[in-house]
Amino acid sequence: MNRVSRRVMNVWTELGPRFLPFADAATPDLPLSRLLRLSLFQVSVGMALVLLVGTLNRVMIVELGVPSSLVAIMISLPLIFAPFRALIGFRSDIHQSAFGWRRVPYIFRGTMVQFGGLTTMPFALLVLSGGGNASHYPMWVGDFGAAVSFLLVGAGLHTTQTVGLALATDLAPTESRPKVVGLMYVMLLAGMIVSALLFGAFLANFSPFRLIQVVQASALATIILNIVALWKQEGVRIPKLHEPRPEANFTQAWASFVQGERAIRRLFAIGLGTMAFSMEDVLLEPYGGQILHLTVSSTTKLTATLAVGGLVGFWLASRVLSRGADPFRMAASGAMVGVPAFALVILAAPSHLPLFFGVGTLLIGFGAGLFGHGTLTATMNAAPADQAGLALGAWGAVQASGAGVAVALGGIIHDIVAHANDGQNSAAMAYDTVYSIEIILLFGALLTMAPLCVKRLAASR
Amino acid sequence: MADTDEKVGPSGLTLRQAEELHASLVEGTRIFFCFAVFAHLLAYIYSPWLH
Repeated sequence: MNRVSRRVMNVWTELGPRFLPFADAATPDLPLSRLLRLSLFQVSVGMALVLLVGTLNRVMIVELGVPSSLVAIMISLPLIFAPFRALIGFRSDIHQSAFGWRRVPYIFRGTMVQFGGLTTMPFALLVLSGGGNASHYPMWVGDFGAAVSFLLVGAGLHTTQTVGLALATDLAPTESRPKVVGLMYVMLLAGMIVSALLFGAFLANFSPFRLIQVVQASALATIILNIVALWKQEGVRIPKLHEPRPEANFTQAWASFVQGERAIRRLFAIGLGTMAFSMEDVLLEPYGGQILHLTVSSTTKLTATLAVGGLVGFWLASRVLSRGADPFRMAASGAMVGVPAFALVILAAPSHLPLFFGVGTLLIGFGAGLFGHGTLTATMNAAPADQAGLALGAWGAVQASGAGVAVALGGIIHDIVAHANDGQNSAAMAYDTVYSIEIILLFGALLTMAPLCVKRLAASR
Repeated sequence: MADTDEKVGPSGLTLRQAEELHASLVEGTRIFFCFAVFAHLLAYIYSPWLH
């Protein structure tokens, strides 16, 4: 080690513990203020998600004139990392550190990678659009730059979220987990809504310079939010010599994980339900406009309606589950709410009652809220203490891939059906096909979950 | 090494912990440097030093 390194290391040892990012001791109780602070990492994740899927999606197509097929590919790139969440979570479970940390190093790296993706992204997008001097360079330069920055953001946000949720599982005792899960979801939603509004306001007068400012500001916000979230959360534990090392092989760890309480059935149910609640994502607004002839401003209110439904769902689920209800039954009731919700949305067109559409949308949000909350709480409760990262990673992998694939599938199925039937009623039929598939998926999820709920009932008697 | 788990200085860090902290700092600096180079490269392609 050279002399500079020695110097810097001395600085670390001389600093008071106040300036170092760990808890003095692992406290058994978890006050709400600390929990709120931890949930800030969800705000940064929500911000990155909304930036990719909402804001930059539009900016690339409208302001920068990038072909929409290329935009669709770029936006779906982060999805590649979704299945790796299980692996990331597992790696954090077995991480060896002199601090006894398992989560901090991974959240730190995830944050760093997300920051890197966001700081390079505005330049990459400008080069991708062929503006400025970029037209003198071959096309692949822009494609490559944009792909790298999208991949970095994706890798970063999947790592941060997976390991962050694992840390929340480590910290929260079983009885406060419903509260923690509710808070995590609410903060994700809040992060998405607030940053969507802010991005919209700041990018109203679009210029390349403004794009750079806004996206880089979000990169900085990511770092600040995540550091505040992580500060002194994970306790230091000096690992003892000859401590038994945890299972260091992913295949073996996975094999022991799926042997746990019907793990595969749970994951399957989570996948089906998530897909059912995600497929309509990009179709609700055009359905309102094209079929129900709603104005643009009233279709925008849909997003708000969906969010309000979700918030009510998270709140109710937190309350009920805190009293000790079974989380999988909560998830099942979410799916049961979803069935009439999609039916109402379908019925809105023939009955010419936009009210049905509004109520249906609210109920979709509500059902998705109950379902999401129930499955995440169940995952946390079922996670073995030494495999929390793997369990939360598996949940996230299924959930994120399911949602991503479903949104894409929804659009594709709609386009195929609309294309195949060029008659008069085909416009509504294309949407109704997707909504009907969602109802079928919900029934599938309910069937898959039924044994999980029945077993719980039998056990509680 | 027997002394690696002894606490040194007012921070209460062990030598091993200080080393790990320092290693992360070095790693982070390298990675941030790579990001900076990448961002500068893209910025140069778009508008060579704002000319």
